Amino acid sequence: MKKIAVLLASVLLLAGCAPAGQVEISDAWVKSGEMSVEGGMTAVYGTITNNTDKEVTFVGGETAIAGLVEVHEMAMIDGEMKMQRIEGGLVIPAGESAVLEPGGNHLMLMQLTGDLMAGDMISVKFDFEGADSITLDSVMAKPAEGGDESYHETEMDMSN
Amino acid sequence: MVSRRGFLQGGAIGVAGSAIGATSGSLVANALNNTAAETATAKRQLPFYGKHQMGIETPIQAVTNLVAFDLKPETDRSSMLRWMTLLTDDIARLSRGEPVLADPAPELAIGPAGFSAYVGLGKSMFIKLGMESDIPAGFIDLPAFKMDQLEEKFSGGDVVIHVAADDPIALSHATRSLVRDSIPFASVRWTQSGFAHTPGVVKSGVTHRNLMGQIDGTANPQLNSDDFASVVWMDQGPEWAVGGTQMVFRRIAMQLDTWDQLGTKSKEEVIGRKLASGAPLTGTLETDAPDFAARLPNGLSVIPDFAHIRRAAPEAFKERIFRRPFSYEAGISESGSVDVGLLWCSYQANIEEQFLPIQRRLEEFDLLNKWTVPVGSATFFIPKGPEPDSVIAQALFS
Ligand code: HEM
Ligand SMILES: [Cu+2]
Repeated sequence: MKKIAVLLASVLLLAGCAPAGQVEISDAWVKSGEMSVEGGMTAVYGTITNNTDKEVTFVGGETAIAGLVEVHEMAMIDGEMKMQRIEGGLVIPAGESAVLEPGGNHLMLMQLTGDLMAGDMISVKFDFEGADSITLDSVMAKPAEGGDESYHETEMDMSN
Repeated sequence: MVSRRGFLQGGAIGVAGSAIGATSGSLVANALNNTAAETATAKRQLPFYGKHQMGIETPIQAVTNLVAFDLKPETDRSSMLRWMTLLTDDIARLSRGEPVLADPAPELAIGPAGFSAYVGLGKSMFIKLGMESDIPAGFIDLPAFKMDQLEEKFSGGDVVIHVAADDPIALSHATRSLVRDSIPFASVRWTQSGFAHTPGVVKSGVTHRNLMGQIDGTANPQLNSDDFASVVWMDQGPEWAVGGTQMVFRRIAMQLDTWDQLGTKSKEEVIGRKLASGAPLTGTLETDAPDFAARLPNGLSVIPDFAHIRRAAPEAFKERIFRRPFSYEAGISESGSVDVGLLWCSYQANIEEQFLPIQRRLEEFDLLNKWTVPVGSATFFIPKGPEPDSVIAQALFS
């Protein structure tokens, strides 16, 4: 995934359009599993590349299948990995990419309005400060194991 | 060019290292040559999108896994479409040598390495989903044949994924990726692993040998020919089936202990072809057409009446198939008997009209049956290939 980001960046440089670059999102997917049922939660992953010449901040998003959407990080809290909201959003410096992955930063979808099943396609809007929002129309739901342990912990986290 | 560069660099290092110069120079040259060879193997990419699914009309790869699945009770037509959506995306990425989405081990995507995968659908799947009326013409379950000793653990299946590559690590990574995305919909019924020659060991285009030592595949239709297309690809039927094919899978065990007691001449008579060259007993080159009418001075046929190729040769023009068998080795007994054979795969536009008459003749009389035992069997329908932005078997499950 990193390779793709580097590739994208170098293609843009070659094309000589570096100053007018855009924010791009590649390899986005959403997790389907036991928790991705109505009322439950899941997360969106992928790689966000900032090809602009200024810093942008990934602040949140929107999707029809979730009542609440937040940008989350994993952090060591009381000796355990738990996830929490990134206050102020995830800063992506000019020319760099941010990888959203299980066990790391992610776009958290909560209060799901229906069951999300393996192979479903959903539309997701990514919101930024310093750049326009990006809507991806076919984000695929992949069955995945990684990052699951934190979901259970976080239910408590989120209620306080 | 690469080897020259290797030589020059080797020379340079040689100077620096004075006494051991010559040796280290050639070592470096070798290392660089190896790198070039590895890279070519890792980079070989087969096209995924097109009229046909990949992995059939293509030279056989080094290693393969066939994974057969049984649908979970709750899996219906719409879940099949979701399953195919996942597999289509996975296969597209793997064919480019990229990790799949959500890949827990993206480091293992070292390159396409000749990767191919196709998805096939068993008759039992059509029945479970209440789609009997969609079963294409000629796509039948095989009847029992008298030499069969079929085992459940090698047979049947609602869906098959057939993966192949030129590297075992690439194969394992790809197989796991495809299985992971299948488990919400189905459970694994059986897995069977096989192999052929490693790339570079035989020249490309040379017919591979099976573990009986025979050159196996000579009489096949030529890849990328009109003849191949008419033998293998369906040209009528529903939209999702045109450009598809019908697959027969047979796991056939070889009884090498008794086979090895035969002399070369007897072995050659059983097949009707020479072991060294693959030429018919009536010719000198592998490509020579067998002369089934030729007789010895004593009146006997040069290619015996019991010979495999005489029995298997088409009696009517349409009785032709494309064979793409991988070898398998599944252990060695305490007494030293190897459990080897073929993951024998054939592809034809119509199993009933093309494959069945051949197999009937072989059942009736084929001396090769003495040393070969079918222990697994299945048939799958392979839908046509996907276009970009479409999904394998999309029209069937929509
Ligand atoms: C372990 C099992 C088998 C072995 C070792 C084997 C081996 C061979 C060999 C060495 C040849 C000659 C070279 C060639 O044309 O490829 C051949 C030809 C052929 N085999 Fe088999 N075979 C096996 C099973 C089968 C089965 C199950 C079928 C079909 C039901 C079959 C159908 C054919 C056909 C159609 C030909 C070409 C005949 C011609 O037109 O010359 N074989 N096989
Ligand atoms: Cu979260």
